[in-house]
Amino acid sequence: MTAPEGTPGRAVTARLRGVHKSYGPVRVLDLPELDLYAGQVVGVVGENGAGKSTLMGTLSGAVRRDGGEIQIDDKHLVPGSTEAAAALGVAMVSQEFPLVGQLSVAENLLLGRRPRSSRRRFLVDRAALRREAAEMLAEIGLAPSAIPVGRQVRTLPVPTRQMIEIAKAWGRRPRLLILDEPTSSLGPVEGAEVLRLARELAARGGTVLFIGHRLDEVREVSDRVLVLRNGRLVADLEPEQATEERLIREMVGGEVAHSRPKEEPTDTEVLLSLRGLTADGLGPVDLDLRAGEIVGVAGLMGSGRSRLIHTVAGAQPATGGTMTIAGSPYTPHNPGDGAAAGIAMIPEDRKEQSLVLFAPIRANVTLSILRRISTRGLLGPRRERAEAERITSSVNVRMRSVEQPIGALSGGNQQRAIFGRAFATEPRLLLLDEPTRGVDVGAKAEIYELIDRAAERGMAVLVASSELEELLWICHRIAVLNHGRLATVIDRAQATKERIMTAAAGTAPLVPMAEDTSESVAEVVSEDVSEDGVAP
Amino acid sequence: MTAQSTLTPEEAPPRGQPAAARLLRKLAESPSAGVVIACVLVFTIIGANAPTYTSAGNLQVMGRDLAQVGILAVGESLVILTGGIDLSVGALAGLAGILTAWFNVNQGMPAPLAIVLTLAICAAVGLWHGFMVTRLNVPPFMTTLVTYTIAQGMSLAITTGTPINGIDPLFSNLSQYYIGRVPVPALFFLGVVVIAWFALERTYVGRQIYAVGGNKEAARLAGIPVVRRVTTSYVASAVLAGVVGVLVIGRMNVADPSVGIGWELSAIAAAVVGGVSLFGGEGRMVGIAAGAILLEFIANGLLALKVNAYDQTIVQGVVLLAAVLLDSLRARFFGRTRR
Repeated sequence: MTAPEGTPGRAVTARLRGVHKSYGPVRVLDLPELDLYAGQVVGVVGENGAGKSTLMGTLSGAVRRDGGEIQIDDKHLVPGSTEAAAALGVAMVSQEFPLVGQLSVAENLLLGRRPRSSRRRFLVDRAALRREAAEMLAEIGLAPSAIPVGRQVRTLPVPTRQMIEIAKAWGRRPRLLILDEPTSSLGPVEGAEVLRLARELAARGGTVLFIGHRLDEVREVSDRVLVLRNGRLVADLEPEQATEERLIREMVGGEVAHSRPKEEPTDTEVLLSLRGLTADGLGPVDLDLRAGEIVGVAGLMGSGRSRLIHTVAGAQPATGGTMTIAGSPYTPHNPGDGAAAGIAMIPEDRKEQSLVLFAPIRANVTLSILRRISTRGLLGPRRERAEAERITSSVNVRMRSVEQPIGALSGGNQQRAIFGRAFATEPRLLLLDEPTRGVDVGAKAEIYELIDRAAERGMAVLVASSELEELLWICHRIAVLNHGRLATVIDRAQATKERIMTAAAGTAPLVPMAEDTSESVAEVVSEDVSEDGVAP
Repeated sequence: MTAQSTLTPEEAPPRGQPAAARLLRKLAESPSAGVVIACVLVFTIIGANAPTYTSAGNLQVMGRDLAQVGILAVGESLVILTGGIDLSVGALAGLAGILTAWFNVNQGMPAPLAIVLTLAICAAVGLWHGFMVTRLNVPPFMTTLVTYTIAQGMSLAITTGTPINGIDPLFSNLSQYYIGRVPVPALFFLGVVVIAWFALERTYVGRQIYAVGGNKEAARLAGIPVVRRVTTSYVASAVLAGVVGVLVIGRMNVADPSVGIGWELSAIAAAVVGGVSLFGGEGRMVGIAAGAILLEFIANGLLALKVNAYDQTIVQGVVLLAAVLLDSLRARFFGRTRR
């Protein structure tokens, strides 16, 4: 919209030199030289794992950089200290809402400092607190009637909380304001207000770093657009250059989509059939899966990938539509129903959702088949151990003994053990959510082999992933979700990263999302993990 | 293919470790072993210094004591294993004794019927706990604190503060007789421990209880009926509290409303000393039984050593502190990962 004002030689708000960060062997951020000029809104785009979160983190102090120098207004920024960054005028609005739910709006807005106008030294000056809070809200265009400052924050809907978070950052009079997908949970009106605020700060001589998934929005608000890929700055564009096609090409790197030659089943039984399936933040989705078929689920953060997997598994209630498994109606109330219908799910977070880390490998791999390997309710220890050894060797878990705590294994080994547990239930339908998150490259290849083996054995596989290469590599078809709805299903022959990104991010109309952000928060967290590339 | 054939060098067992070090490590890794050893040490040391301590009569006293806090500790442990806590067991045991006596004496019911009815009421209380915790998401602490308060109040209300006398001789038969030279209540304790050990270690339901306590979300997503497993543990705990209540009135030949006060804390202490993690999912039956026995050995031993009554409580607190510290050190040393 606005003509680029960024020309070298003008005042620099943030100066980055040789900043880099690695997690284990994976270098997730590597920026030899980057200047952010005063008076600019700088858009940042990139795929999941491109290094956006790490860049934001190094600036805000949430992530300790491994090396390099960052200066804010010519002053050295101490690495890994949010206090130091805040003192230099860096404010960040994240998607995780670090608000204290039990406190009031006013108390949250002035968290960590006292009202400027208060003359009391020790006692809380409630009148000043409320007055100042109302002023802060007014500054970002919210009328006092819109958000009562005395309300408990946890009683407010998510978009309102997002606006409070913005008011809190704004009230610190930041020099550098980092907005991490600020509009993803907002309606059109608030979204426009946030874009206006970004422009206003730039007009006052501050700098805004605007991370966004919606390319049209990033182009609209920015004076300059940076594209990150694999931790590197690959393009530094003026708004006119930053067409959607160009951005997508830079983000994915223009590589040729690689997919392996693989027999695609066409005449097998339809195992899973979804018709108009809806759930909180999901749908409607229409999809058929055949036995022996591997279907990918792609989509941006918060698009409903995990929700689709969880809804089919019975872990999240469906609110409408029908599911059919091998021709029979299927209405699960809990994951136990899903298991009974022949479904095995491997959730995205191994530590939180799959494993009892301190328990032995044996207990972890037999978890889903305890009942089957029992005789009249009794579980023989020798039988269980034999089953555990059979399961772990079938998926090639490398270990000393099945009595080791599973937490002692590497991420790839843990994930193979979980595959073993799933296979042991002899499922017809295998649901995978980020199956290779946090495992190294070698382990990834082994997991792809396990997925292939599942399909060869006649399982239908539905695999959600934020890594497009992975989906292109293993899937027969790829379903793309956009704001919970099924945007398109792309056959392997036609699938490219550009096509998937266009369907997932492109110019889809803005549909207000359901108020539940649990998934998007979870995915923010897990995006960090995928950027790590290794098990923490 | 065996597990051994797929070893990679970095995951192979450490070589060249002396056998003694390996044995020591194994002992340190197993919380149960430590408690059992502590039991033996405490018994030997006190026995050497207080001659009456190891007499048959005193052993019988300790056996009967174990039927109280020991049985409560087993039920309490089941609840803690699922990640909960049951503060009501002491008060519920007290109320169960009162109810049984009241049914028997004031309502004229035959003793067996009074016992069955009381245990059924306890089971209903356990179901109620399970419902509150799993369906209404009331924290276990609060759920059982409510029962604790009401149960204590009901004991006083029913008796108006005065003990109920004249209970059926069957009760004292249960509690005061011996088989061989072993008091019957001690056999109850042994039976409960064996049954609980069998249920936890040899049935799939038991293993699912461990899984629920170890990682509730993982258990749910693996298709385990979490609600039923949690409810089962509360029912077991409440019914065992009922059993204790019945045994106690037999032992004292009277139903006293002050019975059971504070016993829930002793039960929790025994569980923790026995290696049960308050986070859930960890703790073996052998350790739990040994934990209860150790606390009884110490409590009784302090009497035998004629330690001042006030100091006894302090010693018991220090023992608990030592157990908690050891557990925390062990967890740190072996890198046990907690959520």
